[in-house]
Amino acid sequence: MEHSTTSEVTFTQHHSDAEFRSRVRKTTILLSVITIIELIIGLVIYKMHKGDHPSEFLIMLFKGVVCILTLAKAFYIVSVFMHLGDEVRNLIMTIIVPLMLFVWFIGAFLWDGGSYRKLRNRYHPVIETPARQGEHEKSDTATHPLD
Amino acid sequence: MAQTAVVQGKQWWAGGKSPFNVEYGKLMMWYFLMSDAFTFGAFLISYGTVRFSANSWPDPNHVFNAFPGAGHSNLPLAFVSLMTFILIISSVTMVLAVHAGHNGDKRGVSKWLIWTIIGGFAFLGCQAWEWTHLYHEGAWWGMNPFPNANGTASSTNFTNFFFTITGFHGFHVFSGVVINIIMLLMTRNNVFEKKGHYLMIEKAGLYWHFVDLVWVFVFLCFYLV
Amino acid sequence: MNENINPNVHTETHTGHGGLHTDHHGHDHDGHHHHKQSFVSKYIFSQDHKTIAKQFLITGMLWAIVGGLFSVLFRLQLAYPDETFPILETFFGRWAKGGQIQPEFYYALITMHGTVLVFFVLTGGLSGTFANLLIPLQVGARDMASPFMNMLSYWFFFLASVVMFSSLFVQTGPAAGGWTSYPPLSALHEASIGSKAGMDMWIISMALFVVSSLLGGLNYIATILNMRTKGMSMTRMPLTMWAILFTAILGVLSFPVLLSGFILLLFDRNGGTSFYLSDIVVNGKILPNEGGSAILYQHLFWFLGHPEVYIIILPAMGLVSEVMSVNARKPIFGYMAMVGSLLAITILAFLVWAHHMFVSGLNPFLGSVFVLLTLLIAIPSAIKVFNWITTIWRGNIRFTPGMMFSIGFVSLFISGGLTGIWLGNSTLDIHLHDTYFVVAHFHIVMGVSAFFGMFAGVYHWFPKMFGRYLNNTLAYIHFWVTLAGAYLIFWPMHYQGLAGVPRRYLDFRLWSSFNHFTDLNKMITIVSIIVFATQLMFVFNFFYSIFKGRKVRSTNPWGSTTLEWTTPINPGHGNWPGEIPEVHRWAYDYAKDGRDFIPQTEPLNPGESKH
Repeated sequence: MEHSTTSEVTFTQHHSDAEFRSRVRKTTILLSVITIIELIIGLVIYKMHKGDHPSEFLIMLFKGVVCILTLAKAFYIVSVFMHLGDEVRNLIMTIIVPLMLFVWFIGAFLWDGGSYRKLRNRYHPVIETPARQGEHEKSDTATHPLD
Repeated sequence: MAQTAVVQGKQWWAGGKSPFNVEYGKLMMWYFLMSDAFTFGAFLISYGTVRFSANSWPDPNHVFNAFPGAGHSNLPLAFVSLMTFILIISSVTMVLAVHAGHNGDKRGVSKWLIWTIIGGFAFLGCQAWEWTHLYHEGAWWGMNPFPNANGTASSTNFTNFFFTITGFHGFHVFSGVVINIIMLLMTRNNVFEKKGHYLMIEKAGLYWHFVDLVWVFVFLCFYLV
Repeated sequence: MNENINPNVHTETHTGHGGLHTDHHGHDHDGHHHHKQSFVSKYIFSQDHKTIAKQFLITGMLWAIVGGLFSVLFRLQLAYPDETFPILETFFGRWAKGGQIQPEFYYALITMHGTVLVFFVLTGGLSGTFANLLIPLQVGARDMASPFMNMLSYWFFFLASVVMFSSLFVQTGPAAGGWTSYPPLSALHEASIGSKAGMDMWIISMALFVVSSLLGGLNYIATILNMRTKGMSMTRMPLTMWAILFTAILGVLSFPVLLSGFILLLFDRNGGTSFYLSDIVVNGKILPNEGGSAILYQHLFWFLGHPEVYIIILPAMGLVSEVMSVNARKPIFGYMAMVGSLLAITILAFLVWAHHMFVSGLNPFLGSVFVLLTLLIAIPSAIKVFNWITTIWRGNIRFTPGMMFSIGFVSLFISGGLTGIWLGNSTLDIHLHDTYFVVAHFHIVMGVSAFFGMFAGVYHWFPKMFGRYLNNTLAYIHFWVTLAGAYLIFWPMHYQGLAGVPRRYLDFRLWSSFNHFTDLNKMITIVSIIVFATQLMFVFNFFYSIFKGRKVRSTNPWGSTTLEWTTPINPGHGNWPGEIPEVHRWAYDYAKDGRDFIPQTEPLNPGESKH
């Protein structure tokens, strides 16, 4: 027959009911824990911003960690909840490989976004209007050489 | 069938059967989600590009610091954490609904679908509250009352992107809830029982998890960094 | 010929729409109930992929006439800026006041010419037609994975067409900001007359078009991957299938990005946002919009826009490969290299979009990365060209109209592709961007050559579509006039571009440096009118032959190996009256072991050599 794909076949279910439930429970706890860690880091960044001399490097580091944690969360959602981890390798690859395009997609867009800021600051500096009195001024306007 | 698949493992691509061991509907759902990932990706990357091209940007912790019923107390990240947990939990209930479907357990399917639908409505309610709150603070498309982190006046793009992207996500949640309600009605009417399988639930589940997945990134881009 | 197939069997054995995809082994038992098909369900809301293909083709042809007519109109303006054509005023009223094409009209014409031909003809009309027609027939399936979604795909295309066509008749005219619709021109109602209602309709129409192409693309991918008949491994597929598969992948991954870009654009137009807007003065009024980036739109647009040109050219490449091999009576040269280069082109297509933006204010270093990636495309393109040439080398060539157009395709693809290497260099592009050099480049490499691929496909598969042949004499006239015309029109444009003549200008009389091109412009216009008339002759040939053409007497008129020629001459819904044939060999067993061709359905003979 031309489509011997039976609809019964979805993902290969190796595990028993109990095994499945414990896996879902573990993943749920994992996702919650990662989210809580993200929140804690978010609050730390918040505190650091309130401090007098926030270390740009540390803030970037923390933000990087949050990004990695988010990717981990995404991995568990796709792999366990969406059962992609249980599919045959062919399917996994056709999903994952095209997503690689995001690397250049994100990289080129953000790179050019940053470049736009630098070019503007250099050739068309805007005098920024302070919105509130009394806040410390920190601006990289019109000072950076073209890099 | 899984058995035969293993036996024929080397001839996945030989034709006459699916090289992925799935029926076409699920394959199309996966590829649809992939293309939808590019829709959301384009939105979030646009947001990132504009943010990278701005000298300064509002601090989300100063913007999203309210909680319903908590008056004017400063609670950064609290409400959005609640929303995130609601969505994660509704994803878990959806997993259980799909699992019940595999076992042909009609009562289980409808029980967990109802919980998922409740979770979806709860999330939409939270989002409605947050939007209303921000609107009362003077934020909307084209209006941004929040200053940049460095104290300078901010462009409206902070709120523009926030409302566009969370709105687009909310639209996905809403359509997911509608799909889940349809699935519930079909389950109740024994449609799947007669078909002999609950594959439709699985496809609806994929969509629902995708909505959760997107939220993870919206959460990251708008609230955390 | 395949003895199993009796062309006289009148096929009413539909397998039933529901029966196509269920898991019941042996659909045929539930396939015996006859569908009483009304005219509407057979020809209008049909779910048969072959009918949907014809719908796409005919809609695309109507659009091609519209788009071609637009080009004739603006060519008139370019060649005869001094003269008046009162008949234009009769038809277009104030848009051609005094018989002269007004500037707003000119901008609207070039915008719609580009939009219509790129999206509605060469995307919808080309891959819509041949993906639908060929996928189930060549992979051996009863229909698409989801015939219903396939039908929706056409009707979304139709809806998009209706909206776009209506935009031609709104009072302020259709969109006139160029087919790329760059902001701020496209983002501000007050920017120009063509930025008003017509622009909103343009965006809505394009959004519907994106939905159509997604529905179609998902179906194409799912069908090719999941529904191949027994024995039809991926590497036994004809190259048409590979090309269409990659086209669909390109569309599914890049159109959503365009959709996002358009949603942001709609908000900028109607929601008071400034995603793409910053520091703008319109009519002396300073706008409050701050903080947006017009370059962002260009990035989003070209993230689709560049894959889009491959969405246009890949199906043509696939069709040409198949037609060439059949008519050279030789296997395609370097099958795996062909597949590999299609794959390489597909990947590179996603990585090179910013080469359209070298002078937009793009970071120059980032630009140089894009130069490198862009120039890499020359490698797979060259591989394909050499393989085509080697395929016909010492072939036993039959110069059918389809074959003529295929050879023409290769010629045009080389001519237009070589100038791509010039334009891909950012340093050269600074001089050449937005000149007629660019116009010449992309018209030859993706405009005319994609049309040639499409013509090759139409001439070759017309017998499958309608059971009749197109008229050969008209076909040869069509070919020679179009080929000569294409070169006469676009070749001189390279020189104009090198001299700095900018595109999108309606009147060059003010520049004395361009005066010596006046006669050249007249020549180009006259030729383009002749070529346009020749296309109308093709359209006549098409419709005449549907009803009066010479009848096809054999199931396999071209002596082809592929599966579509194992179906009856006029296949019904479900394609094969009996079982779907099993495939035993690849699609290119021509001139093998002393035989002219061996159909894919023929089992390997003992002692047969490998291909």
